[in-house]
Order: sequence, then C-alpha cells, then structure tokens
Amino acid sequence: MRQEKSPTLKPVFLAALSPKPNADASPDAELVHHVLQRDMRAFEQLYDRHCRLVYGLVFRIVQQAGTAEEIVQDVFLQLWRNASQFDASRGAFLPWLLTLARNRALDNLRLKSERQRRREDQTEELPGICAAPEFEKQLDEKRRVSRIRELMTSLQPQQKRAIELAYFEGLSHVEIANTLKEPLGTVKSWIRNGLLRLREGLQATT
Amino acid sequence: MSTTDQFGELLEAYALGALDAPDRAALETHLATNCPECASALNEARWLISQLAYTAPEAAPSDMLRARLMKIVREEAVVERADQARSNRATAVATKPAIPFWMWAAIAALLVAAVYSAWDARQLQQQIREVNDRAIAELHSREKIGEELAAVRREASILADPASVKIALATSQTDASPLQANWNPKLGLLVSGQKIPQPPGDRVLQLWLIPKAPGAKPLPSQLVRPDANGNFVLLVPSPPQLMAQTKALAVTEEPAGGSPQPTTTPKWVGAVIFSETKD
Repeated sequence: MRQEKSPTLKPVFLAALSPKPNADASPDAELVHHVLQRDMRAFEQLYDRHCRLVYGLVFRIVQQAGTAEEIVQDVFLQLWRNASQFDASRGAFLPWLLTLARNRALDNLRLKSERQRRREDQTEELPGICAAPEFEKQLDEKRRVSRIRELMTSLQPQQKRAIELAYFEGLSHVEIANTLKEPLGTVKSWIRNGLLRLREGLQATT
Repeated sequence: MSTTDQFGELLEAYALGALDAPDRAALETHLATNCPECASALNEARWLISQLAYTAPEAAPSDMLRARLMKIVREEAVVERADQARSNRATAVATKPAIPFWMWAAIAALLVAAVYSAWDARQLQQQIREVNDRAIAELHSREKIGEELAAVRREASILADPASVKIALATSQTDASPLQANWNPKLGLLVSGQKIPQPPGDRVLQLWLIPKAPGAKPLPSQLVRPDANGNFVLLVPSPPQLMAQTKALAVTEEPAGGSPQPTTTPKWVGAVIFSETKD
C-alpha cells in the first residue's frame, strides 16, 4: 500500500502566494485546489487515495480488468484536465469522482449493448453536485463504508438485487422488472424503500 | 400530495439512473423550474447513490496503470508549461513599450540638459550684457574724464598763455564778486567766478559777446549756474576768432535754457581791450 502524503505540498512561500481553499475544506478539496495549479504531486496523491475504490467500482460494472483500467485512466485524466469543473464549495469530491467513474463505466457498458438508446440523452459529461448530508460529517469513512455494506446485506435479497441492477448495470425500473420478472410497481417500491432504508441506516449510525 | 412530494419520491431513482423515460422527463421538467427543495434533495440523493460504490468488491489497478497515467499527465504538464511560457512571452512582447525605458531615460536626460543649457546661456548672455553695460559706462566715464582733463588743460593753457587777454567783468551788485575772463584767440575764452550768488529758481547766467559794430545785436554764448559755493568756470572753446570785433563781454540772468537776446540788464560787464601785438 502506498504511503499517504500530506496534502500540503508546496513550499510555504509559494503557498502564501496562492489563493487558499476553504479552511474547512477536506484534504481532497485541498488537493484538487493544488491540481488546478498543475501540481502533479497533488494529482498523484488524489490517485493513490482513491484509485482502489474507483477501480473496484468500474471493474464491478464492466467486469473486464483491461477495460476497467482504461476507464479509470480516462476518469483521472478528466480530473487532471477539468479539475476546475469541480466546485468544492458546492459538494464533496469523492462522491463526484465516483459518479463520474460510474457514468463512464455504464457508458462503456451501453456501447456494447442495445441499451445505449435508453440513456444516450441523459449521459452527462460531468456529474452534478453530490451534497453530503449533515450526518455524513459525523461519520468517519471506515465506519460509513462498513455501515453501508452492512445495510446492503441487510436488505431483502430481491431488493438488494434490484438496486444492484440499477447501480452496477444501469438498468431502468422497467428493465429490472423484466429481468427479475416482477411487477413494475413492486420493483419501484423495492428500490425506493431500499434506498430509504440505506439513508435512514446511515443517519441512525451517527 | 404536493408536487414537490410527488417528485421527491422519484429523486433517488433518478440519481440512480433507474427512471424510465416518461418519469425522467416529468421530473426533469420540474427540476427545470429551479425548485429549491428538490434541487437540494437531489444533491443528497446523488451522494447516497455514490455510497453504493463501497458495496463493490475491493480491487486494485495495476502499477502499470499508475505509471501510464502519470506519464501522460507529466507530458501534458510539460506541454502546458511550454504553452504558458510562449503565451507569457507573447504577452510580454505585446505589452513591451515601443520605446524602451532606457531610451525614455536618455530623452529625459537630454531634455534636462537642453533646459539647463538654455538657462545657462541666458545667464551668460545676461552677464555679458552687464559687463558690456559696465564697459560702456566706464568708457563714457573715461571719455568724460578725458574731456574734463582736456578742458582743464585747455583752461590751464589759456591762463598760462601770454597771448591771452585778461578781462575783468565788474558788477554793481554789492553781494557779488567781479568775474574774471581770459580770452586766447586760439584756445578760447575762459570765464570764472567765485562767491557768486545763485540765480533764483531755475534761472541761469548767460554770457554775451557785445560786437563793436554799431547797431549789432549781442551774440548769445554759453549758460552757467554757480555751484553751491558760488563758483563756476565757463570755457567757450569756439569764440569768435576775431576778438577785435568784440567790444565787451556781459553776463545776464536769464530763464532756464537761455535767451536769444538779453532780457535783463547785465549784471557783469567787462571791456575787451585787444592788442594786435598779442597775435
């Protein structure tokens, strides 16, 4: 495992000349701020901090290591080239990056399937704002990851399966209903109730 | 159920990407109205959906990916820096003044030198004018002294020359002394007086030559006004050459500037006794 480095990368005299990010900004936001100033070491740190999670997500979606690496490369290159499009004051960085990676992976998946037509007008070049709720700040990442996995496991198998089909395979309500051979309304309820349970479970953890 | 509540139920599914076209179109139409509650709820729904990434099995990309990615980024950074340097140079060239700073400084120095030179030349001209004025004044002074010296020498010559004729100009005034005249046919006529009362106001004393010819009018000569001590010396450089034609000398009191003919009775009169042998 790579050793994490301090986000304070520039010499003091250079840092004093640069506009400071928000004092309450996360290490990620500060690193993105340095990436905007074309700081390669900051970019390396961002990659090292999140490449496993991003790669795991993308690999889960595309199921091919080579394709997953190409997508991860594209995602991080987009971050390097378009870091200015991430506004740290409006949302958290990692959810934004994960959404970007998921969209790219699903786009790749759709290119190989007939389902491309479904979301071709919905695909966004960059994800929208991902605003973490207040309770997220009181929950450290390890506990949150552990808790989300527990909560997913605690869902009814069909409910969990419906959410996974939507999230990892990009299926719509109708497509999930067809895949699971269940009524559309039932699938909608499963997904909605499952997501509500995840939200309430994360909130209750705090 | 309000419109916001109705669409609020769709937000998680929308963030998940699970909405089918009709529901998605309806929700997006509502979101286009900038409903603040739905916008905020959608942002949180996106965050919730992003958390599902943690349910994917952990996996690590190859080190090759990292090396490849960093190589691309490094190359792009080099190109960006080169582009930036070119842009900075272009900006520097565009903003570089047509006339360099050192040339402005040289122009300013030349202007200062020119102004100083003009001022210095003006001062020099002023000094030259003052020196010229002093020289002219000195010249005039020397000329005056020379003239005075020549007059004094002439006076001395008249007094010393045996050919000069002495003429006493008597007066009937009780408060005035007689005048003394010395007339040399070649050097001129010298009239002097001592303790002579000054004429009143701006009036002056005027010398007259009284011709011998019967009926001839007195010839006006020079004017004089005694100094504060009552002394005066009157030198007439060009008197009539023929002293023999003059019967007498007379001095009257006349208005300032003199008169063509006597206007008062002579105060001093002296007969010219000319001897041909003195010539």
